[in-house]
Amino acid sequence: MSFEIPIGPQHPALKEPVGVRVTVDGEIIREADLRLGYNHRGVEKLAEQKTWIQNIYLMERICGICSHSHATCYVQGVEKLMEIEPPKRGLYIRILVSELERVHSHLLWLGVAGHEAGFDSFFMYVWRDREIVMDILETISGNRVHYAINTIGGVRRDLNELQIKHILESLEVLRQRSAYYQKLGTTEPSFVARLAGVGYLSKEDAIALCAVGPTLRASGVPMDVRKDDPYAVYDEVPFEVCTADTCDVLGRTVVRIKELMQSYNIIEYLLKNLPAGPIAVRPPRKAKPNEVVSRYEAPRGENIHYIKSNGSDKPERLKVRAPTLANYAATIKMLKNGFIADVPLIFAAIDPCICCAERSVAIVDARSQKETVVTMSSLGQLSLKNTNYKARKREAEWPL
Amino acid sequence: MKLGVFIPELLHHLFKKPATVDYPFKKLEVPPDFRGSPYLRPELCIACRACERDCPAEAIEITSTNEAEKKFRMVIHYDRCIHCAQCVDSCPTDAMQMDNLFEISDYDRHHLKKQWDYARAIVKPKAEPKT
Repeated sequence: MSFEIPIGPQHPALKEPVGVRVTVDGEIIREADLRLGYNHRGVEKLAEQKTWIQNIYLMERICGICSHSHATCYVQGVEKLMEIEPPKRGLYIRILVSELERVHSHLLWLGVAGHEAGFDSFFMYVWRDREIVMDILETISGNRVHYAINTIGGVRRDLNELQIKHILESLEVLRQRSAYYQKLGTTEPSFVARLAGVGYLSKEDAIALCAVGPTLRASGVPMDVRKDDPYAVYDEVPFEVCTADTCDVLGRTVVRIKELMQSYNIIEYLLKNLPAGPIAVRPPRKAKPNEVVSRYEAPRGENIHYIKSNGSDKPERLKVRAPTLANYAATIKMLKNGFIADVPLIFAAIDPCICCAERSVAIVDARSQKETVVTMSSLGQLSLKNTNYKARKREAEWPL
Repeated sequence: MKLGVFIPELLHHLFKKPATVDYPFKKLEVPPDFRGSPYLRPELCIACRACERDCPAEAIEITSTNEAEKKFRMVIHYDRCIHCAQCVDSCPTDAMQMDNLFEISDYDRHHLKKQWDYARAIVKPKAEPKT
């Protein structure tokens, strides 16, 4: 006898809406089905109505935790379209912020993993130390979450000697603490027993299902955009791609802690070799008709932006493929033949970011359970119809 | 993890200064690059509308109130402002500036509005605008 249990859409693991419908046989999950589309915001459509500069801030607001990765991915693509080369110092600062963001994202994930595994002291320790890196980001950019440090053709804030000293000092503390977490995360018996063997994803499956980021690397595949297709200055920065071969949640934890260590090394290298010079060049307002695919290694995996320009000051099409979307197929595989109690842990292990990944709307008829997917063009038609074929913009009444 | 591991951490926190501050009475310093709210220095504004064009939230409105006397009115809607400071970067004459206030909430979003009426300044834009 098998039952179908809906988990979510309210908060299956993290505080974002995604639904899993699992078919269980006793306690064992036999079949899993993801239900998406609870958090669709129409960002791509909105991006077509904004100029290149305005879109930086829109892209930044796709996600709160990896705000810099979406903005950098977009800005890199636009720089390629406009055929401008940002100055070296600008690129160094951009990569510095992206590595700091990786540190903060991985620390956040470690805390969540500890919490989901029932190890709440670990969660509190890690989140306390995450404040250190948040403070660094605040001193560099002025804000804790939306750094807004990118601009087309470079960065907007420069670093001074005082800030460099502050970062290097804080880095020492973070290094020590992370070494302690590495010891704790890999040797603490109850923690390891909870994580080992949960959410198994073999190497073949990980490749076949196109998993990305730490999920893929924990299955023993050394794939990292920073190494495979180096963007910005990653070809001159020495670092290693971290892998684990346990193929489970424990492996994903180990990969993330090892990546923390690599990120500290990268940050130190960047600060010690920071070249002098300008931080940005002035971009043109328009881009020639062309198309570009920009790749970026976000903390969660490979982030892809496809940008098409038509010669005006606005993009014609902007497509975002966030890492979480690529990991969904692998998640279904991981959930199968596991326990119901492991659902939050497996889900949290891909570090899902639903607001990054939601790009389509499915309308489900409540009575017949029939599903229809709304396409981009019909969404555009609908918005035109609702505004009587006039551009909305300034004349619009604010709803409140 | 043995319970004894926590003891040094506990003792350390017993004799530490609190991590928080008594907020309404004491305030933390904001970092120097903090992005507060934008404001206008009308004596420098040449009404080029670069800020209006680049604002991602369409929070800035510049209208011409008197064509002959070259009078302009700028309204900043702080309820729409996303505090990205792009207007400061776009401004060729440094007329747009950021303050460092963070207590800017109000009971009504219609109060979150500021308006300047001014005559267009005659200032030579810098050769290379700040990016």
